[in-house]
Amino acid sequence: MSHGHEVGTLPHSHKKQYIILGIVLSIVTFIELGIPLMKGSPEIWTAAKELWAPLLIVLSIFKFGAVVGDFMHLRSDFTLYKILFISPLFLAMFSFFAIGSLSVVHFQPFGKGYAITAQDLSDGYVPPTVGGGAEPPWADDKFEAAFVDAQKGGFAKGKETFTTSCANCHRADGGGMPGLGVNLTDVCYKHGGKIAALYTTISKGVSGTAMPAWQTSMDSEKLRQVAYYVHSLKGLNVAGGRDCEGPKE
Amino acid sequence: MSAHAENLIHDDAPGHEGHGALSENNFLGLPNIKLAMWAFLGSECMFFGSLIGTYFFYHGNSLGGPLPKDVFSIGITSISTFLLLMSSVTMALGVDAMKQQKPLTARTFILLTAALGATFVGFQVFEFHEFYTEKHLALSTSLFGSTFYTMTGFHGTHVTVGVIWLVIMSILITKKKLVPGKEAVNVEVMGLYWHFVDIVWIVIFTFVYLLEFLK
Ligand code: HEC
Repeated sequence: MSHGHEVGTLPHSHKKQYIILGIVLSIVTFIELGIPLMKGSPEIWTAAKELWAPLLIVLSIFKFGAVVGDFMHLRSDFTLYKILFISPLFLAMFSFFAIGSLSVVHFQPFGKGYAITAQDLSDGYVPPTVGGGAEPPWADDKFEAAFVDAQKGGFAKGKETFTTSCANCHRADGGGMPGLGVNLTDVCYKHGGKIAALYTTISKGVSGTAMPAWQTSMDSEKLRQVAYYVHSLKGLNVAGGRDCEGPKE
Repeated sequence: MSAHAENLIHDDAPGHEGHGALSENNFLGLPNIKLAMWAFLGSECMFFGSLIGTYFFYHGNSLGGPLPKDVFSIGITSISTFLLLMSSVTMALGVDAMKQQKPLTARTFILLTAALGATFVGFQVFEFHEFYTEKHLALSTSLFGSTFYTMTGFHGTHVTVGVIWLVIMSILITKKKLVPGKEAVNVEVMGLYWHFVDIVWIVIFTFVYLLEFLK
């Protein structure tokens, strides 16, 4: 609080305290870094599995408090400064947690991929096209399971479903067979080539033709996966496929 | 105040006028400039609070990769975190030296702080470059890309502004346009800004990086 402006009555120097605090903060940082590395020794890791995250948060609050309190002197400075800084800080934390709880309601944060639902599809949502062409550069085994399912593995499963349930009419490569399934690798669709339309055609079938309604035998996830797969076939134009039927898209 | 006081009041330099006025105390006896900085830092809490909050709101909801775990490298981030932390120590020592009427020592610490800050920014540029070219993460790739780059980019911008400020202050000290005593508060206020930038990184480092590695 003492801003000694008078020569001769210099404020007390905090040099030593700063250096000690710097050393303490470094040690804390090393501890923090050590925590994720503990994964290397599974016994210790699993013994306190639930403790690591709270410990990291406590350590970061400590560092935060030390820098604000001592380096920034807020601890011993005027109350007005404290009010000016701490009240917005609490407001920020409050909105942070408010948003956080909202996200729990709306999405499934922290880990799970955003599962595309039938509702999204009928709303006309078009997921990014993956598969069909070259593998995207980031497609390696580091992916989280949920994501793999939604994107890459989803296609693999869709392809699997296609091979077992659809290939006998649409041919293994989707080119179609005379008198049976139409070509799914061109850009012509009688019933629409958007993912939502494909999902609908596959689930409801086409009455009066050989195309069955698959919703009786597949759940929405399976339908979604195979719809993605069919969507990814668009424009591949495999050799020997059936001629274009329906409007071009 | 004696002879030193003559040194303090030399606001005749062009572009320097507002300076003295800002360091004036207000009716509460508190320096206006310091009060303004605390108010500003309060608003900065809200600013970074929403950026970090947005990052978490969309965390795990990206439709495509790469994901945080695919791009983060704990080694590089730890080094730059450590440098930024140390820059807070040098900054505090600089402010202390200025209060102790040792402008040249203060300048050394200020320049050291600037160097540490610039290295931090350098690491960030390197990191962003690697994420963009090698890991194929752009601002528009996914929710992760957008929220991550916005959050850390704004922080990096703050560090950059701080480095520029530090350099300007050390030039002013060299030219004796900034002298200890009454004007030490200008260095102190810059220190507040610098420490704030450091605490934002403390939060980002733990919540964005370290917690990611726990999973
Ligand atoms: C028994 C044969 C048969 C099987 C099995 C079959 N389909 Fe079909 N499919 C057809 C026929 C025939 C049509 C053409 C319907 C028409 O003329 O409107 C068709 C049309 C379609 C269309 C619409 C194409 C367009 O032009 O709009 C899609 C999409 C489709 N099938 C997907 C599938 C999927 C996916 C499966 C497997 C889950 C499947 N089909 C299994 C016979 C079949």
